[in-house]
Amino acid sequence: MTNMNVVGKRVLRQDAFEKVVGGKGFPVNVRLPGMLHGKLLRSPYPHARIVRMDTARAEQMPGVKAVITPADVPQIPYNPIFFMPVTSAGLVRDMLILSDTVRFAGQPVAAIAAISAAIAEQALQMIEVDYEELPAVFDPDEATRDGAPEIHAGVKNNISDTPSFAIGDIEAGFREADHIFEGTYETPRVHTCYMEPRVCVADTDTNGHITIYSSIQHLFGLRERMAYALGLSVSQVKVVQPPYIGGGFGSKLDMVYAEPLAALLSARTRRPVRIKHTRYEDFITNARHPMKVYLKTGIRKDGTFCARYARTQCDTSAYASQGPVVIMVHAHYGLMLGYRSPHLKWEGKVVLTNNIPGGAFRGYGAPQACFAVESQIDEICEELGFDPIEFRLKNTPRRGDPHPFNPEWKLDTYALDECLARGAERIGWSQRARAGSSSSTKKRGIGMAAHPLWVSGCVGFPDIYEHSGAIIKLNVDGTANLSSATMDIGSGQNTVLCQIAAEELGLADGAVLMSPGSTDTLPFDAPTHASRGTYSSGNAVKVAAAAAKKRLLEVAAVIMEANADDLEVCNGVITVKGSPARSMSVADVVKRAESPYMVIGEQGPAPTVLEEKGTIMGLSSLAPSTNPSPAVAEFVEVEVDTETGQVKVLRAVYAHDLGRVINPAAAEGQVEGGLQQGIGFALMENMLFDPESGACLTSDFLDYKMPTAVEMPRHIESIFIESNEPSGPFGAKSLAEACLIVPAPAIANAIYNATGARIRSLPITPEKILKALGKL
Amino acid sequence: MALSRLKKFCIPENSHQVDDCVAEYGDNALILAGGTFIRGLEVRGLLSEVEALIDVHKLGMDGLVSGVGNVRIGAMVTFAALEQLAELHSAAWLAAVRDALACPPLQIRNMATVGGCLAASCPFYDLPTAFLALDGSVTVSGAGAQREIGLADLFVSLFENSLEPGELITELTLPRPPGRSASAFIKLEGTANDLAIVNVAVSISVDAAGVCEEARVVLGGGVGDRVVRSATAETVLKGQQLTHEVIEHAAAAVGQDIEPMADHRATAAYRLAMAGVFTKRALNQALSRLN
Repeated sequence: MTNMNVVGKRVLRQDAFEKVVGGKGFPVNVRLPGMLHGKLLRSPYPHARIVRMDTARAEQMPGVKAVITPADVPQIPYNPIFFMPVTSAGLVRDMLILSDTVRFAGQPVAAIAAISAAIAEQALQMIEVDYEELPAVFDPDEATRDGAPEIHAGVKNNISDTPSFAIGDIEAGFREADHIFEGTYETPRVHTCYMEPRVCVADTDTNGHITIYSSIQHLFGLRERMAYALGLSVSQVKVVQPPYIGGGFGSKLDMVYAEPLAALLSARTRRPVRIKHTRYEDFITNARHPMKVYLKTGIRKDGTFCARYARTQCDTSAYASQGPVVIMVHAHYGLMLGYRSPHLKWEGKVVLTNNIPGGAFRGYGAPQACFAVESQIDEICEELGFDPIEFRLKNTPRRGDPHPFNPEWKLDTYALDECLARGAERIGWSQRARAGSSSSTKKRGIGMAAHPLWVSGCVGFPDIYEHSGAIIKLNVDGTANLSSATMDIGSGQNTVLCQIAAEELGLADGAVLMSPGSTDTLPFDAPTHASRGTYSSGNAVKVAAAAAKKRLLEVAAVIMEANADDLEVCNGVITVKGSPARSMSVADVVKRAESPYMVIGEQGPAPTVLEEKGTIMGLSSLAPSTNPSPAVAEFVEVEVDTETGQVKVLRAVYAHDLGRVINPAAAEGQVEGGLQQGIGFALMENMLFDPESGACLTSDFLDYKMPTAVEMPRHIESIFIESNEPSGPFGAKSLAEACLIVPAPAIANAIYNATGARIRSLPITPEKILKALGKL
Repeated sequence: MALSRLKKFCIPENSHQVDDCVAEYGDNALILAGGTFIRGLEVRGLLSEVEALIDVHKLGMDGLVSGVGNVRIGAMVTFAALEQLAELHSAAWLAAVRDALACPPLQIRNMATVGGCLAASCPFYDLPTAFLALDGSVTVSGAGAQREIGLADLFVSLFENSLEPGELITELTLPRPPGRSASAFIKLEGTANDLAIVNVAVSISVDAAGVCEEARVVLGGGVGDRVVRSATAETVLKGQQLTHEVIEHAAAAVGQDIEPMADHRATAAYRLAMAGVFTKRALNQALSRLN
């Protein structure tokens, strides 16, 4: 594993140059001949019934080609999330493409296609809609009270789901405890703020088959949901793979109204229809679920946990959508699995309100949980005088332990201890001052948070897809094309997969190129989510590359009159092991394989060998055998201005046991991007809504504040603890999401260390800090 | 549709053509000096009545002069061009402008103009607060006549200035203060890409004994419907040695002259408290620049 040519190198992204000159591969740049532009009419009310709708004036407007209302739309209730079978028993199917009832301000009620977006937008104002306003409720506590407005018929007290689990006897556990800590931790509704808007172009052919281009994280998920909601079979929907999309971070893991509506408008007009969200529309499409976590922990004198109880209220908003799924990941991989306790119990509540729908966001329920758990551990250590690092090690799994989620898996490459030790050393943990001990106006503090256990994909999760496929095809010039339905959502996934393929095939850096396909031509792939891309898709790519390599060496063996087992390939050259003089380039082997049987040369016709004929390629489609967990720890230093309450993050050190780094530059990018989103979650991001109308008040970047480059620390250090995960491609496991799970509690704990102020609700705004310090 | 009634985009090459366009469209014509303010209004749907945009970039008005008694800045000088004024980087009395120019992001600095940011009469901007603290005034021309307006009289209310239809700001004049003078500007913002929650600019002049002869304390952001001068704080400072106590006292006094607003970015109480903190810091900063 030490002699690798491509894996582990800072290989330049294949799409880097193209993106900086405009990124013509982004779905937002798709244009088809004769294309129309669609716009959606959205409800101004958060809860209402449509009494009457008159579209006559809009339809008569010059340039308008079609108007669609709820009456024109299949009334098939669906759930929009991509990564589970659409008919899964675990999903609530409570959405319609267009409905007579609206449940959040901004829900679409009609759609128009016109020859320009401007005309379509003007025509929206010509649609007359009479609404019967219904009482609305935005606060999840109020929504669950008796007498609250009923949002979905038959859902009592707006409680969509009440999952729970328990191990041991929680009451007995608390009786054993020498100390009990409790607290409530709240997180806000935040948006991923991907750069490329949700955008799609749908085109319907004369057979009624739909071809769709869209900015999404899962090709097959969109195909399945489009077909279901429109009452078609999946082969009637083709989703075209863009070479890349402009960010997703989880937000593009569900079907939006625009996609089936573009298809219906296209079917009506027999022309391609494009619908592009405005930033306002993106903001109200989905967001991270706000959660309120009550956490109660029992501790023995020696600093070990004896009882852990948690209760989570999740505002899933107007539709169940991801809520019942996200709360389970939140409970297991967010709250409970990372720390050992003989007795534990968790109770969840998924609440419907008239807020905008909840969606997936990098970390999927874990950022909310980690803020609660890691804040409370800091409180415990502060109060009882434990060292926060030793305390965590006392209560977390060790290398070689059975995996707490599935004891048949082993934590073979698990290294939380090393993450903690190396991170602590780099931040200068031993020099950390006592909380609130500085007397200056601007106070510095150091804090840390860990997330002891995260995932590499979804193997083991009920009803969640987890398999990948790849096709690799060698070319006569010695290069190879790789096709996979994995979506590169900005992380450099395609480059990493090409590195894996090149390494396995023995080709040079840059010799494998990603070639997009569609749901018609590609093997199924689960979405780009759950930190699975490198691990799961990487595994499939490696297996396909190994198959192509096997065939390559078989063909070479025929030509070179050698035994295939005696051949090796490196940097595009095949040699007989131990006899480097006997060699042939990969290009020459592929040329011979692709050549006609009878080749006419200077010496006249010369027959080749039939056994060498044919395109050299490899295929795969498989699920990984296990789900190795990485461990992470992050250390930050902050400066708090105690006159203004402003917080600056000065330094961050992030440590992660990711198995093998395939591309260090891409890996560092994940860490830094996660930190930026984490700083936003910790300190400033918060979607706000008018308390009466439910209208979003923070629907552009003047009002919705996220960190800019200026707010980023000047010193960010990524420590990658490498090992050889046996189930992963070249030893790799996952990285992506954990980078955003840990920053918020690390920052909150650093603020406490600086000032002595403990803030249990995010974002930690300057005003909250001043209030906690008694200065406001 | 934000500019749904737009009928004309004119790029006049002389003032007569401006007059013609104004005559034709009256109140529904809007001057475009850089475009950043107009863009902000447009995306919020606030320009639905506008029928004509008059882009004045071909009218010159881009001089930058360090004169004997003043500094004169053409209305069409962009923020980026203003940064090229050599004196800006050395003169203590101009330091507030230097501070304020560092705030907007590069994209804004390259587009926005001095005249445009003043005509916008937007109290959340940075440079107008600094210019008012430096006792700036504008030269205005229209219908063949010229007049001078002090900035305090230019800003009438939120997004409302005292220009007559057809009048254009052609130049900003900042008078050189007497004696030893220095200024400073500080802004409270959510991120580096934010309008001011509160901003403060101060300008002080002291005599040989260190006694404050002149002081101007100006606050912007959500503290009123326009940029506000704090006469109370200025009175506290004038005639005094600028000791720690006097500065604290002046900072505490600004609360009497402002009316902080509450919105989703900050409460009124926080703005009030920060107006004091930032006034203190700006005064200390200016004081440190005196020597």
